[in-house]
Amino acid sequence: MSLKTTILLSCALFFYLNSIAQDKAYFNQTELGFLYGKGSEQWDGSKENRIDVSFITFHGVRITKNHVIGFSTGLDQYNQLSIIPLALGWRGFLGKTGKPNVFAGLDIGGGSALLEKKEENEWSKSWYEGGYLVSPSFGASFPAKKGKSALTLSFAYKRQQISQFVGTFLPPGSPSIPTDLLPPGFSTFTENDFLFRSFVFRAGLLF
Amino acid sequence: MKSLDTPKLLLFFIAVLIFSSCHDEVTSTYTYRTMMPVYLEMSDVRARTIAIEPAKDLDNPGKIYIYEDYLFINEPTKGIHILDNEDPSRPINLSFIPIAGNVDMAVNGKILYADNYVDLLAFDISDINHIQLVKRVEDVFNHLYRHDTGEIITFQDTIITTESATWQVERGWVMSDALSFSANYAAASQSYGTGGSMARFTLLNQHLYAVDESTMRVFDVEVPADPTFVKPIDLGWGIETIFPFKDILFIGSNNGMHIYDASTPSSPTRMSVYEHVQACDPVVVNEDYAFVTLRNGTACWNGVNELQVIDINDLYNPTLKKSYAMLNPHGLGLAGEYLYVTEGVHGLKSFNISDVMAIDQNQLEFLEKEKSVDLIPGPNSLIVIGPDGVCQFDYSNPSKLRKLSCIQVSNPVNVY
Repeated sequence: MSLKTTILLSCALFFYLNSIAQDKAYFNQTELGFLYGKGSEQWDGSKENRIDVSFITFHGVRITKNHVIGFSTGLDQYNQLSIIPLALGWRGFLGKTGKPNVFAGLDIGGGSALLEKKEENEWSKSWYEGGYLVSPSFGASFPAKKGKSALTLSFAYKRQQISQFVGTFLPPGSPSIPTDLLPPGFSTFTENDFLFRSFVFRAGLLF
Repeated sequence: MKSLDTPKLLLFFIAVLIFSSCHDEVTSTYTYRTMMPVYLEMSDVRARTIAIEPAKDLDNPGKIYIYEDYLFINEPTKGIHILDNEDPSRPINLSFIPIAGNVDMAVNGKILYADNYVDLLAFDISDINHIQLVKRVEDVFNHLYRHDTGEIITFQDTIITTESATWQVERGWVMSDALSFSANYAAASQSYGTGGSMARFTLLNQHLYAVDESTMRVFDVEVPADPTFVKPIDLGWGIETIFPFKDILFIGSNNGMHIYDASTPSSPTRMSVYEHVQACDPVVVNEDYAFVTLRNGTACWNGVNELQVIDINDLYNPTLKKSYAMLNPHGLGLAGEYLYVTEGVHGLKSFNISDVMAIDQNQLEFLEKEKSVDLIPGPNSLIVIGPDGVCQFDYSNPSKLRKLSCIQVSNPVNVY
């Protein structure tokens, strides 16, 4: 599923869910926590740990008593990189109403590098592009004494792809040579494909 | 659905978490353009028969030479296109002479001279439909030799894709690719036209003079079909153009203009050097003055953009008469009282230069749409090279140029 499809589906779902938000069927789970990952190998073979903020808000609709489908968005920080995840998701619950439950979830979509600025000067240009996102999760919910809301603790795995592109322009006056390998106007082009694998620990509320 | 039971799913996800690899990965792909060395045995090059081929489309034309009603257009390192230009508003592409390593040419009588890597070739062009190779002078442009075994090194523009993170280290020289690239390009493509001001081959008094970056090579061509190498003359670095006038050779380098007395054609001697700031500088000359354009560009940084008029009445002591600010002058051409300047992306200018102290006040036309790099005032038309290809103008009325035709090229020169 492409990122565009995800965005379109999520938007459609968002409006649909808004319309039924007052209904009993509406489900929301909003959590804040941190991403933990081991960086890629450095030149000396060592790996640096990274711990960054992760925020997620899931909007969905109960399709059965224990199953919810919807979409999630939020913000994930990977070192200096800020990524907006946008995914279609599912939540499944196990337990009795009014008692602590365990749940599992799955979010599949993409991360957008919308917040990352394109940098361009006389000689070069660099930018980020988002990529696929998969995040299975599980956790526990502890219902409040009154009302429908519950406190949640969840643990997730998140696999996020991000690409960085850095190109230097051809010196002015150079003849162009037709090629599929280099975008026109560039003399060098570097593509860095990052695959971030993180464990996510979050706490929040659902209702 | 039984299989979608929550506990089973939970178990599945826990398994996914446990078995997933858990550190980040980075895959980098580096794509870059560079000049790759190509090694050639001259014996192989010489063994190839040069057979005239049917007309080919112009790809990335270099130097242009006017010979009778024909245009010879060099395709740098590939060969020479021959076009019938009897009607400048409708030039006809006739044929192509494939000459590997060719960057320059000159015509003497019925003989065409062209370089073929280290050799100089002479073609009989008396019958344009039956061009024949009549002589090969071996091992004259020997700066191309890598060592004495007859192997030459040339560079080919190549695009490389690698995942090796150390390409920048392994290929230290690649980092300066912009430099080597433009230097090669400058050598290969920026020498347009003997008629033009950026020539590197020139003929004077039955001698052919060929300049490369540091050396002038003299050939005796008294018998046109039998050129003989006379000697090399060291000029110092940064030589760019050569312009003959009467018995004098004006040689443009990137830091000055060298004036050589060629009254003894086989052995030109230096009369003086007019020095200026580092810049690209084609030169044209009339009786009293030399016109030099200085330009700021890739291969010649630090430059200024101006037209200098140099008084050459005393060839041993050339003096700056006046300089005029220009936008980005690339090439220039002189036709009697009229001077044409190609201003790169800015266009094409024409001046009346009868009063050299007031050239700026005598600008006739500034065609801002005609981006241009070099020009040749030919007998039938003004030939202008630019991103639109090779265009010809009727300049019988110098103050009102009229476009006649443009020969399309598939990979036109970039103006900058």
